[in-house]
Amino acid sequence: MAEYNYIGASLPRYDGEGRVTGKTVYVDDVIKPGMLYVKVFRSPVHKGVVKNIDASETLKVPGVAGIVTGKDVPGVNVGWFGDVPVFAETIRYQGQVVAGVVAVDEDTAAEGVAKLKVDIEEQTPVFDMFEAIKPGAPLVDPAAKSNYFEGWPKGNTFKMVLGDVEQGFKEADYIVEGDYSEGVQDHASMEPHASVAYLDEAGRLCVHTTSQCLAFQLRSLMAIFNRPLSKMRYIGGVVGGGFGGKNEIHTDHIAGVAALKFGKPIKYRETRREDLRFSTKRGAWVFHFKDGVTKDGRLVARYVEHWHDSGAYNTFSSYGIEKGSMFLSGPYWIPNILIEGHLVLTNKPVSSSMRGYTSSNGQYASEVQMTKIAQKLGMDPWELRFINAWRDGDLGASRYKVLGAGSIEAMKKTAELAGIKLPEHLMQLSSRRR
Amino acid sequence: MQDVSYFAPTEVSQAVKLLAEHGKKATVLAGGTDVMPKINYYELKPEVLVYIGGLGLDYIKAEGGQLVIGAGTPIAKLLESDLVAKQAPSLVEAARQHSSVAIRSVGTIGGNVAHASPAADLVYPLMAMDAKLKLVSAKGERLVAIEAFFTGPGETILGADELLTEIQIPAAKGKAVYGKLGKRKAQACSIVIVGVRLELDGKVCRAARVALGSMAPTPLRCAKAEALLVGKTVDAALVAQAAAAAVGESSPIDDVRATAWYRRKAGTALVARALAQAAGL
Amino acid sequence: MKQILSFTLNGEQVDLVVKPTETLLDVLRERLNFTGMKRGCDDGDCGTCTVLINGEPVRSCLTLALTAAGKDVVTIEGVAKDGKLHPIQKAFMDNGAVQCGFCTPAMVLVAKALLDKNPHPTRHDVVYYMSGNLCRCGCYDEIVDAVLAVANGKVKEA
Repeated sequence: MAEYNYIGASLPRYDGEGRVTGKTVYVDDVIKPGMLYVKVFRSPVHKGVVKNIDASETLKVPGVAGIVTGKDVPGVNVGWFGDVPVFAETIRYQGQVVAGVVAVDEDTAAEGVAKLKVDIEEQTPVFDMFEAIKPGAPLVDPAAKSNYFEGWPKGNTFKMVLGDVEQGFKEADYIVEGDYSEGVQDHASMEPHASVAYLDEAGRLCVHTTSQCLAFQLRSLMAIFNRPLSKMRYIGGVVGGGFGGKNEIHTDHIAGVAALKFGKPIKYRETRREDLRFSTKRGAWVFHFKDGVTKDGRLVARYVEHWHDSGAYNTFSSYGIEKGSMFLSGPYWIPNILIEGHLVLTNKPVSSSMRGYTSSNGQYASEVQMTKIAQKLGMDPWELRFINAWRDGDLGASRYKVLGAGSIEAMKKTAELAGIKLPEHLMQLSSRRR
Repeated sequence: MQDVSYFAPTEVSQAVKLLAEHGKKATVLAGGTDVMPKINYYELKPEVLVYIGGLGLDYIKAEGGQLVIGAGTPIAKLLESDLVAKQAPSLVEAARQHSSVAIRSVGTIGGNVAHASPAADLVYPLMAMDAKLKLVSAKGERLVAIEAFFTGPGETILGADELLTEIQIPAAKGKAVYGKLGKRKAQACSIVIVGVRLELDGKVCRAARVALGSMAPTPLRCAKAEALLVGKTVDAALVAQAAAAAVGESSPIDDVRATAWYRRKAGTALVARALAQAAGL
Repeated sequence: MKQILSFTLNGEQVDLVVKPTETLLDVLRERLNFTGMKRGCDDGDCGTCTVLINGEPVRSCLTLALTAAGKDVVTIEGVAKDGKLHPIQKAFMDNGAVQCGFCTPAMVLVAKALLDKNPHPTRHDVVYYMSGNLCRCGCYDEIVDAVLAVANGKVKEA
């Protein structure tokens, strides 16, 4: 057996010293001479149309350089996936950014924001998903037919099919149903969202970002700034916690637009309260589960209908439904599965990725279903899971073949660590074969 | 931008002169743990800042049989004081569970009282111990019972020209107990707070104080619960009755921390637990 | 009206003109470019701005700069001496106590304040003392391990 210098060795982190000494430069630590600061005007109403922005009093505040609005976006006034505008002209959620005030410091910019007069024609919002899908509900996207995302082959329903659930339910001795909901969560990364943007000596727009996905976002930013790649520098990689909350553009676009307009370095950062209230979240999700099981504890059918609250824009939540659907069988072999997913828009902040995006959503629901099934059958909950756990070669809900299944081994290890002695007939089982 | 004046007086007489001069335009600043978030978020745009950290109000002493604490005493000092440990252990417990190290190092007992949130933890042991507050102005001074101090959430009888300078706690009689329910063990804005004190003659209650926090617009003295206890033998059944009575006198609301329903349930358990502990049950 | 503020920062005298509403955090980060301490919330909740004032942990975001007059302020920049890491800093690196690193400077300072007062804390002591500093990456156990490693003399000089 060869000896390795690096493989298997515990090596010090190359950038650890910077972190423990405070030398590592996070985005908010970037300081440029003559740097100006942005504070934004956020819509006080949940839904409406911006009629007019009057900056006459704002511009009189000493130290205010000016404002930035949709009119100042050199390229397209949309962020990510052609969806969220940089500066809103129609409001879809309370807190949505309408304009920015650029000034010598944040106190001055905040004073400028307080003096901005923005006329918004207020409209009726809808907050609850199930209110939003009722016929006649106010439309979140004025150009759409309904508040459903309708872009799937079956329109507003994303379907995932394995086998035949109706047949499966006929074979079941027991049916167990349940309704579950998961609320909104915030990532609360220790580092709030921030950007610094400036033109460098070669005329490139440099943007310091906290983004978790530079390559994705750079394409959107080029379209916003109307700049080719050769005229951009996107500087990132030092992130004070992302957890999925830094997969959408929060501040880069506004900082860049301001840097281009004023020709000065710009810093735009969200306060913690803005971040908590208005930035992207793990969105709410509602599930209806219907499981069919035989009296000897085999799951023969599962039907799940699920609804994800997208907030005011889709961005990639429709992908969330698609990917999330395949995990709703849990790590269990179920020969007949039907998943029907819906994405619903509401007048709330945008739902996005967060820690285990789509793979953790619905898992607690699936596991509570398993517990209810075990109770109904009078069966040991460990045994129920051992019986139904995936083996290599089983099919998942999206018909992919399972390789390297491991939940049986994980359960055995868990029991050992918890001091629980599992019965011998369960200890004989393995993920390698049924 | 409006001009802000900053003063750092070194004597109480200077401080109250400034308050008399500037009245409602003055913002009193001690540790800053309640005032500064408001300034940072532009909710408070101060005109005149009067920093009172240099007034020598940081003291703990025994005087005339009482425990006397300067309003400018940081909460951390309450934890370190042998005198407070001996005379007011329930106040030490409230300080121990309060916020965190970096808040306790500068946040003051006077600030906790004067900011007048119904969730001001230190108020409840003080109420149970019949504490008095010294309020000083350029016109003179007055001593008020702590339960007369609060008039609404964040509101007190303190005049715009007055400064809270001292808290006086009479010699301890009987046993006082503090209880708190928060969503976590540190930096938790309380869901329910309890401050009780029982004076027992054998098993018979001679005097009772039951103070309930985060359960009403102001800190609540539960008179019905107290009346139920006085003159009776304190046992588990009486404790349960008194706890129910105390919560019955409160008016909890639904807010971001908890629902009224939950506060009633948790409050009942917390009062019962504190009374049982005070009675040695 | 602006006023002159004089205080000691990491052992050196600092004099500058400040606005009355500037916080110590504003002065450190925006005026003096000492960006080691972080701005995580401006509410006193997260702890990333925590500095030592006369040896005690204090939220610099809640400290009006002028109230720091004449006081002794220590930030993360003052912990390593002459380029040599403090044992706490080494212990953090060696115990997996750093992920994104945003909470780290304040964690190191608060740990230093604890060990300067109590060189042999129990695990409970460490948890109680440091529970005002939040970490969202999930390093709490490793941070406590790192502090105890220093207390137990297990950290060799860097």
